Amino acid sequence: MTILTRGAYGEPGTSLAFKTGNWRSTERPVHIHAKAPCHAACPAGEDQQAWFAKLQEGKAEEAWRVLVAANPMPGVTGRVCPHPCESACNRAALDGALAIHNVERWLGDEAVKHGWAYPVDAPAADAPTVAIIGAGPGGLSAAYHAVRNGLRATIYEAGPEAGGLLRSAIPRTRLPREALDAELERLCALPGIDVRFRQRLGRDVSVEELRAEHAAVLLAPGCQEGWEWSVSGAVPADHHEGLALLKEFMDHGQFPSARRVIVHGGGNTAIDLCRLLKRSGVEEVTLVTASALPGPDTDPADVINVVPRELEEALEEEVAVIEHATVNRLVMRGSRITGAEIVSLKKVPGPGGRKKRVSFEGTERVVEVDMVIPCIGERVDPEGLNGLVKRGYLRPDDAWGTLGEKLYALGDARGDRGTVAEAIGDGARVIGAITARLAGAEPLADGRAEMPASGLNPTYYERLPKAKAPKLPIEDRTFDTEIEGDIGGTATMAEAQRCLSCGDCLACDNCWTFCPDNAVIKTVELARDGSHYLFDLDFCKGCGLCAAECPTGYIQMQPEFAVETA
Amino acid sequence: MVDDARLADLRRKFGRAPAAPSEPAPAKRTPREAQPRFRGLESGHRACQGCGEALAARLVVECAGPDVMIANATGCLEVFTTAWPESAWRVPWAHSLFENAAAVASGMEAAMKAKGRNTKVLAFGGDGGTYDIGFQALSGMLERYHNVLYVCYDNEAYMNTGIQRSSSTPHAATTTTSPAGKERMGKRHLKKDLLSIIAAHHIPYTASASVAFPQDLQRKVRHAMGIDGPAFLVVHSPCPLGWRHDSRLTIDVARKAVECGLFPLVELERGALTNVMPIREVRPVADYLKPQGRFAHLFSDDVRAQEERDHLQALADYNIQVYGLTGEGQDPADTGGAAAVGRSGRAPRGNDGAARRVS
Repeated sequence: MTILTRGAYGEPGTSLAFKTGNWRSTERPVHIHAKAPCHAACPAGEDQQAWFAKLQEGKAEEAWRVLVAANPMPGVTGRVCPHPCESACNRAALDGALAIHNVERWLGDEAVKHGWAYPVDAPAADAPTVAIIGAGPGGLSAAYHAVRNGLRATIYEAGPEAGGLLRSAIPRTRLPREALDAELERLCALPGIDVRFRQRLGRDVSVEELRAEHAAVLLAPGCQEGWEWSVSGAVPADHHEGLALLKEFMDHGQFPSARRVIVHGGGNTAIDLCRLLKRSGVEEVTLVTASALPGPDTDPADVINVVPRELEEALEEEVAVIEHATVNRLVMRGSRITGAEIVSLKKVPGPGGRKKRVSFEGTERVVEVDMVIPCIGERVDPEGLNGLVKRGYLRPDDAWGTLGEKLYALGDARGDRGTVAEAIGDGARVIGAITARLAGAEPLADGRAEMPASGLNPTYYERLPKAKAPKLPIEDRTFDTEIEGDIGGTATMAEAQRCLSCGDCLACDNCWTFCPDNAVIKTVELARDGSHYLFDLDFCKGCGLCAAECPTGYIQMQPEFAVETA
Repeated sequence: MVDDARLADLRRKFGRAPAAPSEPAPAKRTPREAQPRFRGLESGHRACQGCGEALAARLVVECAGPDVMIANATGCLEVFTTAWPESAWRVPWAHSLFENAAAVASGMEAAMKAKGRNTKVLAFGGDGGTYDIGFQALSGMLERYHNVLYVCYDNEAYMNTGIQRSSSTPHAATTTTSPAGKERMGKRHLKKDLLSIIAAHHIPYTASASVAFPQDLQRKVRHAMGIDGPAFLVVHSPCPLGWRHDSRLTIDVARKAVECGLFPLVELERGALTNVMPIREVRPVADYLKPQGRFAHLFSDDVRAQEERDHLQALADYNIQVYGLTGEGQDPADTGGAAAVGRSGRAPRGNDGAARRVS
């Protein structure tokens, strides 16, 4: 009740009786936690913004825990991932993308060094079990997420060791064995994960048997067979397929001798091979690819699909590249190659929205070479997968990897994947679907919007230089020593300060400081949305100042009557 | 050593949960009452959406209070905070007339002195009550060397009565008494250089601040509070209604005024320039003018528009030169560094809010 004072005075603070909130006519401020672009771009489903926030508080172990909630192998992906997160980073427009990749690697190595425990509990003894075929990155990730979700996992691996293509196809210069072993050992030792080696699908186990025994069967066999390659019917006597050659080299440390080699393909295997061949003493190594090198005018869909750093280093090491071309014909003397006919080619839009390759008549030229190595991709080994392989791959129906009742596919074997990070992400997605379905529900995708750079207020970010990882000089590069180094703890903590916290509250106090109506209340206890502030809508006049001055875009103005349902 | 009694007292005061069950339970306080800052100016005041003056006054009282009393000149601030019988103030506050805030403050200060009390007296006025109507009372207060901090909330026109020009209105701005049209492109005259006039009184401290840089503003208030003698602070406070910009752009517009050089943030001690906030990246004046309707005619087809824009640009360049506002590299106290925030409010690199010293 309004107290009328005698004389011209008012009691202190009595204006609180007058609720200026009813002046708001169209919009009110709301807290909206949009996806950071790094998170949206991460094939492994990491929320980089969330773990960078922990690092900004100086809490490295907590940061690692948030990271491994999605990806249990940061030490591996921190070395081999093509980091699409960095390509998507909003800071690129300001003063260079965050060095997310290097920080991830540092965290992975710290965890191993200090023996930080994975944030999982041992599943119950009678928990449902899942059977996983293949102990590659996808299978291991699935096993880890199974345990995180209270399931037990049994992995059947054909080989004698875990790691899949991480071990067989990624050179030590990118992923040293010590780093790989340390992380996989910790992972395989988690309670609830049982890895059985030398168990080959089709010989020792069958999909049907497993399906009868387990709550679900997850197929993560990877792609082990090279596509048949013949050029105009001619295949040389000493023909080597790319991945097989790479695996052979990883085991024996030797390549067949050649002076001039063409590697034909456009993926990481091709680049790895080129670099190893060059380092082993081959005089001329040429990569022939249907894609293009990255450049300011290159269509992103046309850019060669490899780790950008690897391509950069390959060019440094004088690997030659012929863009937009393919090998048309081999020039043979008897069963030996003496040359290759190259023809220009481009991927152009074809019927049904799919790209088709068109080679241009009249652009054929012959290059003198001793060896042509195709790296044109691999397909699933069909052994034990009767009736499941369609056109080389498992090709599941949806993003969850559903192949059928209690049957899922993940990783490279799906046919629409190609990186370690995607396989790791598949592990989490498949287990998410299984957990939901065991509970009688359907899995839900994260439908949140992404925070674009235009949604931020860049005024409030100090310009800070990007961390740079040390690199071995070209003349010191061998077959065993890792080429890219560690940025170290100090640089990591400095790099963490560069994170813009896109779409999430930074607790910077801007809204609290700038509200002319004191309608922002600072409170950690009562702000249930994870921010540190409440809007007192009794007094908010809806000016929109807080939203305009919020650095991260976490405050947005929304139509007054649409908010209730959000 | 931790003083347990004081810790418990602080917990009670700020309403945090006790660390252990044996500690006293927090007193029942509303979240608003538990704010970790002094609430000198409360919600429920009748300022317009996005009011720069309401924000500036709150920022000043927040770090000046609680042991202060205020004499307020007539103007928006007086009107919107005290709709009888309510008051938004939580400190002693008096309003008398348009022209006499400085005189009333002088009397309040003398009374405090006579009673042997240390309560600091503040005087608040808008640009009308300071640059024009209360000017001679202000000059007298400074000359008599009263221990008063005078804060002028400069929104560059008589906004309370409906946007009439004042001597603080910038050149070429349109107001109801300096309309842009056939005869003139807005106000014909220049903004009065009040800081130089005040500084000529040889008082201990004269400074300009902006709502866009609250840490810098509050540092200046704290410094002025420690001075035993007259101090003067002018705070650039955009008025969305009078400047005709979107209410959400108040801070943005205020920041651009500083970044283009039209409103330099400076400090003068005994008449001498001692501190400036360097501009990291100088903006063209047009960036500041564009969002404001009061300068819209400067972007019309009128042949005089370009000339007036160039005139304002020349005035900004003059300020930059006279006050030496060009920054050198990255300075934690320049316009970029002063705005920087980080997680939990801190700037990523040690920004103590201190401006560069002028040697």
